[in-house]
Amino acid sequence: MTEKTAASAPHAASSKRLEPLRQVDAGVLNIAYYEAGPADGPAVMLMHGFPYDIHSYVDVAPQLAAQGCRVIVPYLRGYGPTRFRDSSTPRSGEQAAVGVDMMALMDALGIKRAVFAGYDWGGRAACIGAALWPERCIGLVCVNSYLIQDIANAMAPQRVEREVALWYQYYFQLERGRAGLAANRREITRILWTQWSPNWPFDDACLERTAAAHDNPDYVDVVIHSYRHRFGLADGDPQYADIQRRLATLPPITARTITLDGAGDGVAPATDGSASASKFTNRLAHRVVPRAGHNLPQEAPEAFAAAVMELVKA
Amino acid sequence: MSDCVDRMRRLLLGAALSGVAGRAFAQAAVPAPPLRRMEPLRHADAGVLNVAYYEEGPPDGPVAILLHGFPYDIHSYVDVTPQLATQGCRVIVPCLRGFGATRFRGSATLRSGEQAAIGADVIALMDALGIRSAVLAGHNWGGRAACVAAALWPERCRGMVTVNSYLIQDLSQAMVPASPRDEVALWYEYYFLLERGRAGLAANRREIARMLWEQWSPDWDFDEATFDRSAAAHDNPDYVDVVIHSYRHRFGHAAGDPRYADLQRRLASQPPIAVPSITLDGDRDGVLPASDGSASASKFTGRRIHRIVPGAGHNVPQEAPEAFSAAVMELIRG
Repeated sequence: MTEKTAASAPHAASSKRLEPLRQVDAGVLNIAYYEAGPADGPAVMLMHGFPYDIHSYVDVAPQLAAQGCRVIVPYLRGYGPTRFRDSSTPRSGEQAAVGVDMMALMDALGIKRAVFAGYDWGGRAACIGAALWPERCIGLVCVNSYLIQDIANAMAPQRVEREVALWYQYYFQLERGRAGLAANRREITRILWTQWSPNWPFDDACLERTAAAHDNPDYVDVVIHSYRHRFGLADGDPQYADIQRRLATLPPITARTITLDGAGDGVAPATDGSASASKFTNRLAHRVVPRAGHNLPQEAPEAFAAAVMELVKA
Repeated sequence: MSDCVDRMRRLLLGAALSGVAGRAFAQAAVPAPPLRRMEPLRHADAGVLNVAYYEEGPPDGPVAILLHGFPYDIHSYVDVTPQLATQGCRVIVPCLRGFGATRFRGSATLRSGEQAAIGADVIALMDALGIRSAVLAGHNWGGRAACVAAALWPERCRGMVTVNSYLIQDLSQAMVPASPRDEVALWYEYYFLLERGRAGLAANRREIARMLWEQWSPDWDFDEATFDRSAAAHDNPDYVDVVIHSYRHRFGHAAGDPRYADLQRRLASQPPIAVPSITLDGDRDGVLPASDGSASASKFTGRRIHRIVPGAGHNVPQEAPEAFSAAVMELIRG
């Protein structure tokens, strides 16, 4: 079922910025987001991951807007100028929270349906939105296929090469890891980008453009909670308990879906999609993008934008 | 019981070696020479353990005790041992708790891997063998055992050789982050804090050991037979418990065995080492980068020489046996 996309050189870093940002109260957050394209166009939610920011979509967003889409690119909780509205809200990074945040943003903006597209944390948010609110989902584009976490099986070891790549997740279980992230967030980001995208020649300006989003006052709390919760080693925010119970069943995704893997992904190696086949009841295609690493929308924007447009047009 | 275990180990090893020989033959059409093994092993009740150890050299010679690390075994000293024995040393190479044919004498004894325990094990073995004083030499866990023994029982230690200088852990600083580059190398320590890591070690101990050997000694071209010879020691029934406890204890994530509480309190003061010492760093060490020794200088109050061993990784005694043996002999000769 795997398709190959046309080979292209890894995308060079861009100095462009996605601005101006808009702000809207949405659920527990005041969300900062970038918007482009006609207000009456089909909506596309572009969801970034860790340790990245909205500039993963710096090239995808204008490509989609030029083709008539209303593109919404939010900063996730803990990133950039997005803020919690209440100081007492737990700084949860659990999967249910990032999924609910996306739906709250759509509600706040009056968007009834959209294409959900993302990678890493953002791909997980997109999967959750598609699985639990299929009536809101025109289609799903996700890097690394089905990303809803199976926390009940989080203590099952994987092969050693994979465990080595997850060093940061284990590190973040310790208070040493929390202190290390707080003190050295840029260095950790640089290491992860290098490990996860070995073919991507990002430069210092490209890294710094994104790393500034990690100075958010909630970044460390949200990141640490995210990586502890997925191993069952941190409690979730009770307000998401029902959602999390539904996610624990690993619900299938019925929306039309295109999944992408980067052939050079250094943390989630490219697959043929077969292992996740049963989770997608309407997958149109699984594609391996040559040379692209984990940050697929920034490294291979044409392949990512093309997948979104196929779902918008279908 | 030890006979039975030894027989089983020989059987397992024979199977492993025949597999390796088959591969070598297919690749090179030249049968690999048989690997030397440190045997026969002797056994001694020593403290909480029945310690399996290899001995070579004249019984009345000056004693050198060679202490291996994780995830290695006594064969880190396969070349150092005969070099020292032919120069007149009585060489003792014990399997650490949790490794090889060493066993706990009591089933109820906590399978602790804490630093105080492995240090106390060295002294208990010396007591059991009637050895009053020895040069203690080691790397990794074994280097730590040597440091612990040298610091707390200086009258039993006529000199010390360690790789990576002063290795007594400062648990009070365990939550202070290192540079991110160094933290990446410690992936296994963080992994072992989770039950996932314990399950992973139990299921994939060889793959984990091989990964660490490759990461820690990037220039060491070890072959399958060499790896298998050591990895067999990790089939010890206490290996997983001792290893997991060691890495949890050092981060304050596991309580120590109460019998070592006094020793651990003394180690918490980061006691200096007064005995003559030679410290070695491999300049290709992939887990503890070579240093100039200055950061640990205040911990050595006696004569201390620090050397960088060119081309060596973390497993210095096996990768650069001449350099390691030379350091031991300098301390033997005083």
